[in-house]
Amino acid sequence: MAKLVVLQPTKQPPISLLSSSLSNGTKLCQIQVTLFTRGKAPVTQQLPGESDSDYSDFKSKVLHLKRDRQDSEFVKSSLSAEGYDVVYDINGTRLLASNSQYRFICLKPVSKRCQYHTLHDCILFCCINLKSDILPHCEVDAVDPKSRHKGKLNTESLLETSGVNWTSLRPVYIYGPLNYNPVEEWVFHHLKAGRPIPIRNSGVQITQLGHVKDLATAFVQVLGNEKASKQVFNISGEKYITFDGLAKACAKAGGFPEPEIIHYNPKEFDFGKKKAFPFRDQHFFASVEKAKHVLGWKPEFDLVEGLTDSYNLDFSRGTYRKEADFSTDDMILNKSFALQS
Amino acid sequence: MSCLRWISYGAAAADKKKVFILNTNSGGHAVIGFYFAKELLGSGHEEITSAGGKTVWGDPADVGNVVAGATFDVVLDNNGKDLDTVRPVIDWAKSSGVKHFLFISSAGIYKPTDEPPHVEGDVVKADAGHVGVEKYIAEVFGSWAVFRPQYMIGSGNNKDCEEWFFDHKNRPVPIPGSGMQLTNIAHVRDLSSMLTLAVEKPEAASCNIFNCVSNRTVTLDGMARLCAEAAGLPVEIVHYDPKAVGADAKKAFPFRNMHFYAEPKAPKDRLGWEGTTNLQDDLKERFKEYVKIGRDKKPMQFEIDDKILEALKVPVAV
Repeated sequence: MAKLVVLQPTKQPPISLLSSSLSNGTKLCQIQVTLFTRGKAPVTQQLPGESDSDYSDFKSKVLHLKRDRQDSEFVKSSLSAEGYDVVYDINGTRLLASNSQYRFICLKPVSKRCQYHTLHDCILFCCINLKSDILPHCEVDAVDPKSRHKGKLNTESLLETSGVNWTSLRPVYIYGPLNYNPVEEWVFHHLKAGRPIPIRNSGVQITQLGHVKDLATAFVQVLGNEKASKQVFNISGEKYITFDGLAKACAKAGGFPEPEIIHYNPKEFDFGKKKAFPFRDQHFFASVEKAKHVLGWKPEFDLVEGLTDSYNLDFSRGTYRKEADFSTDDMILNKSFALQS
Repeated sequence: MSCLRWISYGAAAADKKKVFILNTNSGGHAVIGFYFAKELLGSGHEEITSAGGKTVWGDPADVGNVVAGATFDVVLDNNGKDLDTVRPVIDWAKSSGVKHFLFISSAGIYKPTDEPPHVEGDVVKADAGHVGVEKYIAEVFGSWAVFRPQYMIGSGNNKDCEEWFFDHKNRPVPIPGSGMQLTNIAHVRDLSSMLTLAVEKPEAASCNIFNCVSNRTVTLDGMARLCAEAAGLPVEIVHYDPKAVGADAKKAFPFRNMHFYAEPKAPKDRLGWEGTTNLQDDLKERFKEYVKIGRDKKPMQFEIDDKILEALKVPVAV
């Protein structure tokens, strides 16, 4: 039986889906899943639509290792004592920022044959305009050493030199039921309130969303897969989407009429610390060809299907992570109204 | 009148194929035919290349007579945009025993989408001329392949692509809209290699549509920057709203004022094709030729530009 530990900030609901996929998808391989978290929130969450019996069955099988990962001695001793075969590290950023030496120590004793998988947000590939004029981002492209995600880049470098068998997965924007990051939720709040959707600048900026279930599938597919060894894979949707298009797609998913979209110039406003729009204001998309060719992975959801899944299993049931906040909207709308009158 | 070119081609005596290329005189993809012919001729053994290619001129509607009864294995029509023009060629090819029919269509027939890129199989504009041709070819031929290109660069190109940007050296570059529109610009050698693969692998190519484009997309602003870099010059980009300044964007700018981005999924999956276009390097070569032919010294008028810049009150250095 293979033993698998997931290092997971409890804030991220994808873990439930991931663990569930791991347990279900790998029943044949007899995988034992352990979640390593600080324990600030329950480690398992019943997925929308999941039956009580399925959930309690899953819950009973998942082990919980409760400690702060900053406690390096505990991590070292517990991980090596348990003899884990696979480590899934959902978020290596803060860890590395605090102590890169610690990370290295953590990896080494866990066993050379141990597989180490990391999940990274797509590392910002270069802020220099020249490079981001040519897209999509591919795994071989140069990465931005100044990115705020540089910790994750450091993790990859460390893994390469550590001799550990590793795989790194790079999603773009993750979406799906129980999404902790209010991406589609931001749009759904607007649609439900019947409010216009304020989109910065032209609205033709292109982004890319990947359903969390497809990401979980990729996690499972790299398990014990030699082709995944020491490789980086972009994992997201096959098609990209404009900002304007995303607003329309969310409306379709939720059965709302086509939304009114208002474009604005963010430079004309001071929103303070508030985020007026949940996406970075640039083209941001990555090619998933490598994962498709090398792993045979393929996303199950297209965008509208995936957003419908998210809407039906989450937002439409009255659940969401962040309360609607239209204060920045009102600033934008007031100005537009003033300009028109 | 169009250029009809036929060549004998083959990697080995047993594989020798007679390929007929019906090439247009004008238009943005005429250059594909020249490169393709060159590549096929260059791929063969010595005795085959010495047989060379033969070029004849004539009316495509009269192709059977023009070739004086010669027969071919493969026909590539890189000429017609509608059924009236291509039907005589298709009919002649079928009746004279041609086995594989290849057609250069256009990625412009894809219906605009919020979800780029265009991949093979996506919805096309039903009333587009090329669509009628594609349908007829599929009805008539058992083995066919259709190629949908976008924009290309390469020596001998009829239609200005990078040249438009090079011409703007020392002038502001007016780009409609936000400049973030995505487009696809491939070096013609990549498109030619795709066609060659289709000829070499007829079973793999058969009954397929291929986006005849580069692996990567580039923004309009990005293209302006890359061209300036290739020329070793700074660039000043000015964005404008065509409606607001009263300009016809089609006349003012050589690329579509929208996302126009197709991906070469089928060529990679089915033909094992790989793109080699590297705009940074390729544009440097293009600029060298631009200077070599003396175009950088040619006096030019920028009437439409000047109207746009005046409307925006942007000064132009004299």
